[in-house]
Amino acid sequence: MVPSLAVEIAGVRLKNPLIAASGTFGYGVEYEGLLDLSTLGGIVSKGLYLEPRDGCSTPRIVETPSGLLNAIGLQGVGVRNFVRDVLPRLAGHDTALFVNVCGDSIEEYAEVSRILDAAPGVAGVEINISCPNVKKGGMAFGGDPRMTAEVVAAVRKATRLPVIPKLSPNVADIAVFARVCEENGADAVSCINTLLGMVVDVETRRPRLAFGTGGLSGPAIRPIAVRMTWQAARAVKIPVLGIGGISTASDALEFMIAGARAVQIGTANFVDPAVYDRVLAGLREYLARHGHADIGSVVGSLEFPDESRA
Amino acid sequence: MPWNRDVALVDKTPLHGPYALLSFRHPEVAREARPGQFVMIKAGLSAEPPLRRPYSILSTDPARESFTLFLKGVGQGSRGLKEMGVGDLAQCLGPLGRPFSLPASEEEALMVAGGYGIAPFFMMSRELQNASSSGRVFYGGRTSGDIQLREAFEALGMPLVAATEDGSVGFRGRVTEPLERHLDSTRTAVRLYACGPDAMLRAVASIAERRGLACEVSLDPWMGCGVGTCLGCVVWIRRAEDAKPKYRCACTEGPVFDSRVVVW
Repeated sequence: MVPSLAVEIAGVRLKNPLIAASGTFGYGVEYEGLLDLSTLGGIVSKGLYLEPRDGCSTPRIVETPSGLLNAIGLQGVGVRNFVRDVLPRLAGHDTALFVNVCGDSIEEYAEVSRILDAAPGVAGVEINISCPNVKKGGMAFGGDPRMTAEVVAAVRKATRLPVIPKLSPNVADIAVFARVCEENGADAVSCINTLLGMVVDVETRRPRLAFGTGGLSGPAIRPIAVRMTWQAARAVKIPVLGIGGISTASDALEFMIAGARAVQIGTANFVDPAVYDRVLAGLREYLARHGHADIGSVVGSLEFPDESRA
Repeated sequence: MPWNRDVALVDKTPLHGPYALLSFRHPEVAREARPGQFVMIKAGLSAEPPLRRPYSILSTDPARESFTLFLKGVGQGSRGLKEMGVGDLAQCLGPLGRPFSLPASEEEALMVAGGYGIAPFFMMSRELQNASSSGRVFYGGRTSGDIQLREAFEALGMPLVAATEDGSVGFRGRVTEPLERHLDSTRTAVRLYACGPDAMLRAVASIAERRGLACEVSLDPWMGCGVGTCLGCVVWIRRAEDAKPKYRCACTEGPVFDSRVVVW
């Protein structure tokens, strides 16, 4: 018997739990021809504002031990160009398309979401309240529970689509933010965005990134992301999408066992476009070896009696 | 179209100092790559270093289904490649990027290289020879150790003028000096091509602008993915149709650009 990898997130059925993370997969069309997009459970687009954006100055990326520090600053084509030029090209692929929504203001988040509500082929919106590389919006909203509540409630009112806030790890207690999202109408939460970091060039005494600080991603952040996914999943009933340094089936399973209903693959897209085939094969092998008929039986199966924590 | 493969090292030739030639089996790159295109590659299948690196393709051998890279083992990525043994695997995506355009039949191709920027011009020289087009290479480095592969260009019959800052090989000074002397003396129509450090590219672009010559430059910013999604390698480009400069990916819209559209 072939184990089932299908999962359901916020009423959207995904054929498998692997989703390409925002900012690491372009708008999806960049990978046409390089891999079969229908292999993916879903795609989250690069973040979109109402208008096109240039993003940060260069240098924008620097490699770190087992990681990548970036300050791209949400360069993008703007939501209207996306709906007109990109959405039709994605229509032929059998994968769920989520759009990452950005804003400098609560009104902008709502307006972008309204435009997407009327667009064909969008499975849901992921609210970007956690980008560390913009001066307004982004992490400023995701670092304050009251602001998080306002953004989520405003987007909730603006669209019938599933609403999935993407949480910032740059907070003391992520469970608080997960609960605020749930209470204000979110259908799921993505957990986590990048960790705020910095790399210094000791010869020039300058930061390596033009923006100064950046967001750290890749295997370096995985244990933190697994811990935060676990904390968020215990705090809410809505599904949690685990993100952070996933490049193998074992990595994905860590998040799912800790409570994630699905996972997003980010930095690994840059390294190996064949990552989805490898992870899917590994998930099937794991389920077969452990006698599971369904990936759902792995979710939240962490063996960790609370009383054992001193 | 790029192909993603785990590729075996089939040949390795250490050169002077940190330099080496590495050949990998990759049928599609061997068949389809054009001069100026590159691959994203990293040694082994392990997690470190996290990212692949971009390298210009030095040459292809369709019969052996292989391509060759010229690299300087200075960083984590290039040292990892240089330490590979024959038969070891690397992760490789290619061919990528926009290649150089070839000169018109009456034009002489003047190829200006700095350091390991020589790589695409070997492949280009072969193409020019096959097309019976004329060309000339201007090859600059700090010192004699940076001037590699002269015999390979000689074997092709491609004229090569070397320049080193310390005068240990060829012309003493910057590579743009013998280039300007040649431009002063020639009556043939020419087209400039440049690959190397940014300062050299800017100098060649400004010579081209001053003399009203066509010029293509191959840019080499930090790249994360090679396919236009990480947006790490963007450069300011202003095309005729652009009202203002736009950040464009060097990996997909370059690495080769008309020098006039680059906002330096």
